[in-house]
Amino acid sequence: MSRAAAIGRRRGFSHALGELLRAFNTNVTSWIGLGIFLTIVLLAILAPVLAPYDPLEQNIVARLKGPSEQFWFGTDVYGRDILSRLLYGARVSLIIGTTATLIAMVVGSAIGILSGYVGGRVDLAIMQLMDVLMSFPTLIMGLMIVAVLGASMGNLIFAIALTAIAPFARIARAPTIAIKQRDYIEACRALGYSDLRIMAVHILPNVMAEIMVMGSLWLATSIRVEASLSFIGLGLKPPTPSWGGMVREGFEVILDNAWLSIFPSLAILLIIFALNMLGDGLRDAVDPKLRGGE
Amino acid sequence: MATAFKVEPAEPVLSVQGLTTSFRVSGDWHAAVRDVSFDLAHNETLALVGESGCGKSMTALSIMGLVPKPAGRITAGRIMFEGSDLVSLDREAMRRIRGNRISMIFQEPMTSLNPVLTVGFQVAEALRYHRAMGGAEADRAALDLLEQVKIPSAARRFKDYPHQFSGGMRQRVMIAIALACRPQVLLADEPTTALDVTIQAEVLALLAELKQAYGMSMVFITHNLGVVAAIADRVAVMYAGEIVEVAAVRELFRRPRHPYTELLLRSIPRVDRHVSHLETIEGQVPSIAAMPAGCRFAPRCPLREARCDAPPPLAGAAHHVVRCWVRSEGGGHG
Repeated sequence: MSRAAAIGRRRGFSHALGELLRAFNTNVTSWIGLGIFLTIVLLAILAPVLAPYDPLEQNIVARLKGPSEQFWFGTDVYGRDILSRLLYGARVSLIIGTTATLIAMVVGSAIGILSGYVGGRVDLAIMQLMDVLMSFPTLIMGLMIVAVLGASMGNLIFAIALTAIAPFARIARAPTIAIKQRDYIEACRALGYSDLRIMAVHILPNVMAEIMVMGSLWLATSIRVEASLSFIGLGLKPPTPSWGGMVREGFEVILDNAWLSIFPSLAILLIIFALNMLGDGLRDAVDPKLRGGE
Repeated sequence: MATAFKVEPAEPVLSVQGLTTSFRVSGDWHAAVRDVSFDLAHNETLALVGESGCGKSMTALSIMGLVPKPAGRITAGRIMFEGSDLVSLDREAMRRIRGNRISMIFQEPMTSLNPVLTVGFQVAEALRYHRAMGGAEADRAALDLLEQVKIPSAARRFKDYPHQFSGGMRQRVMIAIALACRPQVLLADEPTTALDVTIQAEVLALLAELKQAYGMSMVFITHNLGVVAAIADRVAVMYAGEIVEVAAVRELFRRPRHPYTELLLRSIPRVDRHVSHLETIEGQVPSIAAMPAGCRFAPRCPLREARCDAPPPLAGAAHHVVRCWVRSEGGGHG
């Protein structure tokens, strides 16, 4: 009895996650990817503790110093410590990237499941709209929105999330169409469950694995788009450190002082690389299940 | 009337009256279920018998309000249950009846449970949804149900997933879910067809036992006449979307009146009688778009006469009705 009473409500999700992890386990590169990503997250969280200097503090005497024992990654044109700025910049990238991806994941999956479940003309109309959204290159769309609304963190998140909704909707819709015809969904209808319950409790856990894979890949894209927008000057306003912004600042002096751009570039490269490895691992983990069917 | 010895002719639990469910086939509407009427008494098991595609499943789905739209719809008839006509109920009211007052179990236990949700969760869900039970209370009740349907060591298996259960066990779980809210009527759509014979017998025994314990009525859909003999009180034989004969189970097996029923019974192998070969029924069920205007069985019927070109009514004494011009005369028309 106590066992029965201890059962939570998230079993669907924990099962989907468990399945994913089991297959994921055998994949070394995905573990490396996850390791690198979590390390960066940890460094970003611990930035106030780890950063040797204030990321905003200017030091005219120590401007454009190369990497040394005192400044591991050197200093920029205002004499600010690049390592400290990188650590704090990671926070910006991660907050914008993850928030935007999560919003897109939730909204996109909801739209996709609804569209696939309802079907017919509603489905057609929604997916046409998604196709229109998808026809804009991510960066152009982000550029347009930020240019119109202004470059605040909220707007950046909105812009990036908007571009990612359509792919999530598509990835959630396809399996929904297959699943809604399964016997157990018919059984749910025979039990009088509402459409909302069928979608949220019975279909969502079945498409969770695909959504998670998409999530890890889009997190990389979101971070890249944020960096790109910052690089072209549509990111957060200086002096707030962001990786893309740092590359841009270093770009002006790249011929003489390359490290200004190199270190933030490497940071962007590393996190995107890690997330792609993670995403590929997850995708491989999900794939055999898709091929095998239920 | 044959029911005259009853003190009071009890109100039927479920009364299907002139139900016609049609489907659109290349632009035209054709009746897959035509003018089907039957009453289901309290604690009675009515078997709906017929071959594949004769409309027996569609009759059940019509009662549940689950006719696939927009290709199909109920075009005529009433389904009276607890004082209201299910055909005219709105979606919300119908949803409160499904799985709660009228439940249904399906043929395929292997695929009728959600593979990513635990068995316990799926049983408890019906209670949480229809009975607004809290999590712990619903889980306790669900465990009781799993024990009632005789899942061995149910407490230990509560958190197991459907793939860890055999077909027979899954069908027991389906029964537990269907009966969770103690429905008045259970529609069982070939619940034992996918199971092997020994498991079939166990599930039938379980259904009969639970029917008594819960005092519910059951519509049992099957094409297996052996199963009918084991579980039913009354039998309605369907052919090409129509009920062609209704009788108590013993009466039907002893004195089948409709030529289709008779041929069906003659085509089952029997252990108590030596026969050199089994009879078959010549021909095929006419397709939904090409139904004969008269008796639908006429093209395959050995007793066919000229008057069979007109549609025969369901006629006969109340305890045994038959839809046949030739056979309804002899056995007390009127």
